[in-house]
Amino acid sequence: MESILLKDKVRGLEGYFAAGGYKPLKKALALKPAEIIEEVKKSGLRGRGGAGFPTGLKWSFIPKDAEGPRYLVCNADEGEPGTFKDRELILKNPHALIEGMAIAGYAIGAAHGYIYIRGEFTAEAALLETAIADARAKGFIGRNILGSGFNFELFVHRGAGAYICGEETALLESLEGFKGQPRLKPPFPAVKGLFGSPTVINNVETLAAVPAIMERGGAWYAVIGAGKSAGTKLFCVSGPVNKPGVYELPLGVPLRDLLEKSCGGLKAGKKLKAVIPGGSSTPVLTAAEALAVNLDYESLTAAGSMLGSGAVIVIDESQCMVKLLQVLARFYHHESCGQCTPCREGCGWIEKLLNRLEDGRGTVKDIDTLYSVADGMMGRTICPLADAMAMPVMSFVKKFRSEFEAHAAGRCCPSEAPGKH
Amino acid sequence: MPFKLSEEFKTKAAHICAKYPRKDAALLPLLQELQGAAGYVAEEAMDALAQYLELPYARVKGVVTFYTMFNRAPTGKYHLQVCRNISCHMAGAPGLLAHLRAKLDITEGETTGDGLFTLSAVECLGACGSAPVMQVNEDYFENLTAEKLDALLEDLKHGKHPLKR
Amino acid sequence: MPKLTIDGKTIEVAKGATLLEAAQQLGVYIPRYCYHPKLSVSGNCRMCMVEVKKAPKLVTACSTEAAEGMIVRTDTENVKNARRDVLEFLLINHPLDCPICDQAGECGLQDYYMEYSRAKSRFPQEEKVRRGKRRAVGPHLMLDNERCVLCTRCVRFCSEVTKTSELEVMERADHSYIDLKEGRALDNGYSLNIADICPVGAFTSRDFRFKQRVWFLKKTPTVCLGCATGCLTEVHHNENTVHRIVPRPNAETNTWLCDHGRMAYRAVQAGDRLAKGVIKNGLIDLEPALREVASRIDENHASAAVLGSPWLSVEDNAALARLAADALKTENFCFDFKAEQGIKDGILINQDPAPNTAGAALIRAGRGGLTLEEFARRVADGRIKVIVTEARAAAFIKDAVKAAGARLIVFATNKAEIPAGAYATLPYACYFETPGTFVNYQGLKRRAAPAVEAREGVKPLWAMVNKLAVYSGTSLRLDCAEDALKGIEF
Repeated sequence: MESILLKDKVRGLEGYFAAGGYKPLKKALALKPAEIIEEVKKSGLRGRGGAGFPTGLKWSFIPKDAEGPRYLVCNADEGEPGTFKDRELILKNPHALIEGMAIAGYAIGAAHGYIYIRGEFTAEAALLETAIADARAKGFIGRNILGSGFNFELFVHRGAGAYICGEETALLESLEGFKGQPRLKPPFPAVKGLFGSPTVINNVETLAAVPAIMERGGAWYAVIGAGKSAGTKLFCVSGPVNKPGVYELPLGVPLRDLLEKSCGGLKAGKKLKAVIPGGSSTPVLTAAEALAVNLDYESLTAAGSMLGSGAVIVIDESQCMVKLLQVLARFYHHESCGQCTPCREGCGWIEKLLNRLEDGRGTVKDIDTLYSVADGMMGRTICPLADAMAMPVMSFVKKFRSEFEAHAAGRCCPSEAPGKH
Repeated sequence: MPFKLSEEFKTKAAHICAKYPRKDAALLPLLQELQGAAGYVAEEAMDALAQYLELPYARVKGVVTFYTMFNRAPTGKYHLQVCRNISCHMAGAPGLLAHLRAKLDITEGETTGDGLFTLSAVECLGACGSAPVMQVNEDYFENLTAEKLDALLEDLKHGKHPLKR
Repeated sequence: MPKLTIDGKTIEVAKGATLLEAAQQLGVYIPRYCYHPKLSVSGNCRMCMVEVKKAPKLVTACSTEAAEGMIVRTDTENVKNARRDVLEFLLINHPLDCPICDQAGECGLQDYYMEYSRAKSRFPQEEKVRRGKRRAVGPHLMLDNERCVLCTRCVRFCSEVTKTSELEVMERADHSYIDLKEGRALDNGYSLNIADICPVGAFTSRDFRFKQRVWFLKKTPTVCLGCATGCLTEVHHNENTVHRIVPRPNAETNTWLCDHGRMAYRAVQAGDRLAKGVIKNGLIDLEPALREVASRIDENHASAAVLGSPWLSVEDNAALARLAADALKTENFCFDFKAEQGIKDGILINQDPAPNTAGAALIRAGRGGLTLEEFARRVADGRIKVIVTEARAAAFIKDAVKAAGARLIVFATNKAEIPAGAYATLPYACYFETPGTFVNYQGLKRRAAPAVEAREGVKPLWAMVNKLAVYSGTSLRLDCAEDALKGIEF
């Protein structure tokens, strides 16, 4: 299967151009915006940031008769633990993103686009700045693009260290110079987004797929993948496999194939215990569940988890599930924006309960409390960060309860005594 | 100590503000500029920036304390930021942190006596495929081992890695 | 006008109304911390969650717009569980220091705990997040971050009402806290409203702290006399002592109350409160003082005059008008006070610092009298030699009095009010002690009601006027405040 996104020798504008780059933009500018949206709808492209919302539909929510500016925002605040695909994509193929944004901007009637990139990615931000300058110099960005009369300015905006800014309305707040605290919805960004104007926010990977769809047609894209999960997806594999990294594969690929064929299997002596299939927020799968599941939106939902960002975190038998959950809890506790009561207080409580279990001070009652605290957070907050904490907790406790009980009994898990990790 | 925004900063700031329809949207990039120059964001700098952007001081302070990348005190010449999230954890981040603590004789949040190194444990840096990862100032160092760390520290001590500051 | 059903009751509400507002109209109370009717919706506390049929999750009533055909339930197990859980989350890091907390008795945590939770703590005391304990922030407020539930009402008040934006939530997650710039005082003229809207004991009034447990307080609805705005207030008092003043929200004038107005009660109990007369600088019993004043008036009968006061009630001004017309039988009286009127700070404080300029105008309309300019001129040229007035009103003719050496006889409640050079001062009961009518800048008649009793011997001003007239040999026959109003359009 050919790669659509991760290609070699397209990092610079010349290479990108040689590979047919910016032809899709020219093609798009000859169409009506509604026709582009139709084509993207036809492709079946869905948001690659985690939620999987149909992209064409999202674009079509921009009110047709809205006065004033509209904005296109690219979410490059890649922060979901286990996820490192957008970084790779930007480093390898920045112009696919820039061209995708120009096309999307034209489709939704936006004259300004922002790429919100996480603050730690300084090299990536600099690379994007250069790529945008190159594209501007050739007339692909800026005023009267390719003589079409369409103006599109594109800016890079760096975050400053806050996982929550990956949530689209927190991202907008941050882009406006505020703390990254998610907004109440409705109103949705398509109606009232950046600076109060209609706004579309798409993930890097989503936007980067747009030029190929423009070039080869929605129908072509739609047949790649598995039914409603159309197209290719960047899967990022981390953990004890022989070749961790980012792999572009058609949606619907068996997780087993990703691990064994792409990643060369687990490292010598390592035995699979569990997989978190879509970034740290998605419910964990046992080894048996993982090896039976296909990587697409529907299959993972059916298996009780989610495709999420496509971050496949591989966990082997030597790892302690209580310890790993403690690591995740520390993270969510650290990243809760502090706005909603259940998340602000619950994340810290969960971490403290796990600290107790991990230190050998915990009881069986603490395990039940852990589960019920997570349950009390689920679905009760403005944004999904509380759910993102609750889902791993509930799935870890449900599927690996014996390890938690071993900790409560002061016994080893799986090979070490509590407190020794 | 009175803090004055330099003319150079103001020129840059005007350019950055022009990217947004409202100038207060430039708060994060301007704080990054100030931190880039001084290594941290001082109270006086927040005050000066608040006045420059015509914002309440509390808004600036709220933002500085919300985002983890803003340092509120000077750090060492090299800020060692070791990722400790799940993939790096499984790949041995706790061991690397312990190694650094022992070697530098400081704990997280502290700076070595010679002012060279500040040690921090940070959350996911988004480079999980090459875990364990450490960011030194703005640069990423990936697939680390204790040996690689030792070599890197030696290089840094001798100014061999031309890290940005 | 969407029609919806809440707990089986149907109601039609204005477009844009939220579920919380709709429920309120039906008399269904939905608990809340962050919601405040006069502040923007924040939706952070998650206490007001309700069930909406067909919605996948509970929704916050404060932020969800009522829509046609919605079926809402506020009393299901699901809703009750959510409330109980939110309360538990709020309480895990709360110090649970009710016995020493001044908010006790009017605390959202206490009230809702009794109503919705009553669960035993599952959280170990030693694991609580410690935050900053009490510290004074500005002249009026004490801030205890450990008790804070981070509802951000205070932050929104400062940014949306006073537009001073002193406060902000610093940091994030469960170590976030409310703070302001180091060294800056929270002193925006309305700061005590923050103590009112803080649903817990995080912000308390420095003035009121530890004076009284709130359940002992008696409440008297009245009006603020701090300026011409005439805000409706409630005076909280016990055992004949006023402890605080809070606003009585109403559509016409005020939701809030300014710090100046709230502190007005201090004069009532101040050490310089007058219970006797003052002649020159010496205290003297009331009866001799009245006799002295009467004889000074009598010896200058032809040149005695009365100046009303925009600080006095309509009734007391009317009594002064009777004194001029029926006892002194003079045309030298004045109830003409012109002042720029209107809200000067965009919130509550009026350009006119006096509460009853419009009320005095009613007396002028009914009884006539000189203009203030003419009155001052007659003082200056010696045609008026003795003036009976109220202490603060004397300032209107200060220069003329000084230039001509006229004798000032003033009514005052506190020694601090007495103008320099006053010949005689007579005490009277203030409007925390005696009723009176005031007309605010919009022309609204508002009633000051007594909350406490005046000190023995201290009488309402109309009664003092009645006595003074008797000493001058005339009976005004004033048996109550209203008696003076005869013949006045009111």
